[in-house]
Amino acid sequence: MTDTRMDTAEGRLGDSNSHAEAPILEVNNLVMNYELKGGGMVSAVEGVNFNLPRGSSMGLVGESGCGKTSIALTLIQLAAGNARVLDGEVLLDGIDLLKLDEEEMRQRRWTDVSMVFQGAMNSWNPVYTVGEQIRETMDIHWDPKPTAAEARAKTEELFNLVGINPEMIDRYPHEFSGGMKQRAVIAMALACDPKLIIADEPTTALDVIVQEQILEELKKIQHELGMSIIYISHDIAVIAEITDLIGVMYAGKLVEQGPTAEVFKRPRHPYTWLILSSTPSITGDRRQLAPLKGEPPNLLDPPPGCRFHPRCPYATEKCMQEEPPLAEVEPGHSIACWHPESVPVTLAGSTE
Amino acid sequence: MLKFIAKRLVQMAFLFFLFLSLVFFLLQAQPGDITSQFLDPTIPAEVQALLLERLGLDGSIWSQWWAYVTNFFTGNLGVSFSQYPKEVIDVIAERIPRTLFLFTFATIFAYGLGFVLGKRLAWRRGGFGEASITVSGVLLYTIFYPWFAILMILLFSSSLGWFPISGFLTPEFWRGAPFTGNEVFGQLLLSFTISAAFIIGGLILASRSEERPQQRMFRRAGYIVAALAFVLFWALRTEMRPFAVDIIHHTVLPVITLTLIAFAGTMLLTRSSMLETLKEDYILTARAKGVPDKDIRDHHAARNALLPVVTSFILGLAFIIGGGVVTETVFGWPGIGSLLLQATVIEDVPLATGALGFIGILALMAHLLVDILYSVLDPRVRVQTGN
Repeated sequence: MTDTRMDTAEGRLGDSNSHAEAPILEVNNLVMNYELKGGGMVSAVEGVNFNLPRGSSMGLVGESGCGKTSIALTLIQLAAGNARVLDGEVLLDGIDLLKLDEEEMRQRRWTDVSMVFQGAMNSWNPVYTVGEQIRETMDIHWDPKPTAAEARAKTEELFNLVGINPEMIDRYPHEFSGGMKQRAVIAMALACDPKLIIADEPTTALDVIVQEQILEELKKIQHELGMSIIYISHDIAVIAEITDLIGVMYAGKLVEQGPTAEVFKRPRHPYTWLILSSTPSITGDRRQLAPLKGEPPNLLDPPPGCRFHPRCPYATEKCMQEEPPLAEVEPGHSIACWHPESVPVTLAGSTE
Repeated sequence: MLKFIAKRLVQMAFLFFLFLSLVFFLLQAQPGDITSQFLDPTIPAEVQALLLERLGLDGSIWSQWWAYVTNFFTGNLGVSFSQYPKEVIDVIAERIPRTLFLFTFATIFAYGLGFVLGKRLAWRRGGFGEASITVSGVLLYTIFYPWFAILMILLFSSSLGWFPISGFLTPEFWRGAPFTGNEVFGQLLLSFTISAAFIIGGLILASRSEERPQQRMFRRAGYIVAALAFVLFWALRTEMRPFAVDIIHHTVLPVITLTLIAFAGTMLLTRSSMLETLKEDYILTARAKGVPDKDIRDHHAARNALLPVVTSFILGLAFIIGGGVVTETVFGWPGIGSLLLQATVIEDVPLATGALGFIGILALMAHLLVDILYSVLDPRVRVQTGN
């Protein structure tokens, strides 16, 4: 335990020079299924690859049930009891998390990867104060354990960082508003200086104004502390606002990934193109929105070939039979599609 | 908190007034009165009238009711018909510690055992062990209680001879004893109270301390000091000791029986409440935080699962009345439950009213205790009480 903490400290110090090239997180060919009672497998994550460079943020976006949260839970090994990782590696700072045993993984949670969960409202245990719950993470992971004064000082520092009055430390969760709970969750995620934060729908339960404030806060913290963050959201606007990189998921697969700005400017995969076409833009041209028709496939029996072909306007014979690999179309921008040139430069829907 | 308790006490006084009035009229409504049961019919009518006047039974029912209720609050409960001229309050004062003793122990054991087992059952769901304990729990929960109590007596007292068949002490052994049963009993209660105070003190210190090892130290110190205090207490009372042992020997079987009957309900409730709690988001958060499994179970899940169990305790208080009568009758335990039954059967109206009144007081006090406990356990309630 002590050794890994030392490594961490060195890794941080060397961040700007020697280690700068090695990504903080490498996910290689991750395959995860849910086993069903009475046989059958739901293919939740299918051959996902991505790298997250140190100090940058990446967004995973996709419809409900496309495997975003499954990836997150697999990274910290807290997927449901019937989840089976069939293949792949998850290298966090060079260590394969999937090979650790339960106790090793437990010690790495929150120090290596911490999480901001979907629905922070319910992330707090109602019978303990927020301060006690934050302190619990320090008691478990700090070496040596913090004294009461140290823990309090750190919590106050974190509260100031996320914009909560430090006097709230001794209050119970039900005395916090929704936005404050979410801020406090972010403060808790930072309590052990994790290498990576996974934020799973961090603002979904909040109204748009609070959502905006929280996103600003996260962006600020990420830049100030040089954090590496993975955002998971179904809301592509949220992802567009705060991430450096984006990964678009469809039916358990990564179909397009690249720098966020580039993907938004020129989506290459028909699915990305269609979801962007169904999203209104405030600054762009006024146009009739083009809704994305159909439903995501049943993952118990995914369609052969490209999983998107039943809904794709450009699908051909080949798409129904062969699975397209993820291939670069520009440096750093790749898609999994047999017809990378078919997507128009402008979004779908008639302009007014 | 003090304001909350004061408010509750006022509410309780009003509630008790209603309860007592109801009890009074219910017992008046049953057929027969003192003239039919206790007065010799050959006594001349003038003498009878004089007796009724002296007992305060000559006025209208409303004036009798008002006199009774106001007297109750001053501690005057009248004279028992069947144990004339003993005062009702004295009869009850003799009986009430025995009932309290029996039920306090049975309640602590039943809820303690039920909670610990329920928590573990939910944690290790599935498997033969869980299924068999759950099934035996349901069996004990639904069994006809008097029959089960008789079965226990048959097995452990008649066949095995481990425990006395009934009663609260062995009369032959106490013949010519230098102490009365209640004196010894009082000392027993005193010693248990002292021990309990040390245990509670240790737990309070533990809950106030910051470090885990320190908490454990305070808890253990509490248990050890409590045990030492108990041993020392009885080491100094060499003459009384054998009599105390006799009373405890009589207590074991009723307590075990009551515990077996009552723990299952708590266990099943804790189990389902725990299973609900384990689905909560904050349990997933605790796992993600790297909280060790045992702490997730005990600090995060069980602490929340405890709340409905405490609520069920309030609802279960009715058992003290019903269960008290049955238990004390079956085990020949001379407490307030068996007193109530005797008094009702022989139509000793003052005694029956007084006994029911005191059972009501016990239930209300337990209620208050649970309310305070609940507000300590659940911060969401604490704020609403205007703290």
